[in-house]
Amino acid sequence: MVRFQDVAMGYSAGEEVLRGVSFHLRPGSFHFLTGPSGAGKTSLLRLMYLAHRASGGVVRIFNRDIARTRRGVLPGLRRRIGVVFQDFRLLDHLSARDNVALTLRIGRVRQDVIREHVTELLDWVGLGDHLDAKPPTLSDGEKQRVAIARAVIGRPNLLVADEPTGSVDEHQGVRIMRLFEELNRIGTTVVIATHDRHLISQFDYPVMHLDHGTFGITGNQ
Amino acid sequence: MFKQHFDLPLGDDGSGRFVPWIVAVMVYLAALSVAAGMAVNRSVEKWNIGLEGTVTVEIAASDAPQQTAQERMDQALVLLRQTAGVLSAKPVPGDEISRLLEPWLGQGEIPLNLPIPQLIDVRLEPGTQLDLAALGTLLENAIPGARLDDHQYWTERLADFGRSVQITSAFVVALVALAGAGTVVFATRAGLAIHREVIELMHLVGSRDSYIAGQFQAHAMSMSLRGGVVGLALGATTLGILRGIAAPIQGSLLPTVTITAGAWAVLAALPLIAAVIATITARVTVVRALKTMP
Repeated sequence: MVRFQDVAMGYSAGEEVLRGVSFHLRPGSFHFLTGPSGAGKTSLLRLMYLAHRASGGVVRIFNRDIARTRRGVLPGLRRRIGVVFQDFRLLDHLSARDNVALTLRIGRVRQDVIREHVTELLDWVGLGDHLDAKPPTLSDGEKQRVAIARAVIGRPNLLVADEPTGSVDEHQGVRIMRLFEELNRIGTTVVIATHDRHLISQFDYPVMHLDHGTFGITGNQ
Repeated sequence: MFKQHFDLPLGDDGSGRFVPWIVAVMVYLAALSVAAGMAVNRSVEKWNIGLEGTVTVEIAASDAPQQTAQERMDQALVLLRQTAGVLSAKPVPGDEISRLLEPWLGQGEIPLNLPIPQLIDVRLEPGTQLDLAALGTLLENAIPGARLDDHQYWTERLADFGRSVQITSAFVVALVALAGAGTVVFATRAGLAIHREVIELMHLVGSRDSYIAGQFQAHAMSMSLRGGVVGLALGATTLGILRGIAAPIQGSLLPTVTITAGAWAVLAALPLIAAVIATITARVTVVRALKTMP
């Protein structure tokens, strides 16, 4: 599913933020990713959701060497990856409903199917009465739930979430984690980056540690 | 509930606010240029059709004592009517010659002793291979002061004029199209810069370049169609006004200029042409820019 071999990554002329990172995530696995601020968690996730190309090593996603993959193939791969961004990255001019529908619309899914699935999912994350609300009118917690709904609506093969419970209360956080587990149960590979040690301790999933150049995995894989 | 909309808020950013107005001006200028080109072309065609298949024989006034003017006219008519390929040969009446001279000499101001040439209007059989140069020489030798005018001088110059007007009109339309395309390029680039983050997000959730380009295309088409229709309306109004102003002098000082149904159809197509140019320009600009993104 996801295989990193001696991967390095840097931004333009700057120093490398990742060096010698190697791991393998099997299909249907569930991992936490943790480490101090600035350790490179977001950079690692950016490589996973194909926002950036590695400056060294080999990144293989869905059995494809990304460095050797043509640009025209990437949209199809990205549609198989759901991403929850730390800063939500919702489109302010679209309603909650249209933000969630974006990935399906891009995938040219039928309007009636989109309508049914989006309404159902927003209802499930507790935003059934905010369907037409635009992001600037939503709280951070509500925005985060919209962002999560957008990431999972397409039933991705790989779900990458950056601090997905950072802006919601504990109850909502647990509900969101249950949603991720549901997805994982039907085969989605899940990677969740978080600082929240309490959250990590509540689940028995392997944890990837990233700390300024060192990388390791603990727990049952 | 789920409306058809732009994922990119292109209508709200102001980057293309001026585009409809510029396209309106472009289409207005193109409409005037095309109308002028086609009207002049039509007039030249009419003049050419009028001159085609005719020649004029001019018999200059002469002091030669051996033949009267009438005798020379009769002799020329006989010679012409006996020539194979000549359909008819009719003397142009004196009143008609006076009318032709009126713009230069004034109405009823032609002095009686002015040596006015006599004219014969000669119609040729369609498709005749008559050697006009030989006929001219024959007339000149047989009748003192006779000269055959095959209008070639004028038809060539009319054709040159018609071509020049067409080329100028096409050049103006090409410049207008280039300027319009340039405007769309700048507006599209501004839109790309303003919405860079949204475009990046759309890429990350799996959008193809063509999907994003489609949004810019649709926006450019909508703007240019709106501007084009306004420009065409202004152009049609201007042409109508000019037609009204020219009506009293058409046929006397000005040739009768008509804009045919075909010409109106071409003019009506200008907003669509502008929209197609804007759409293609937007697509090429966006696709090129997106290729630089991951």
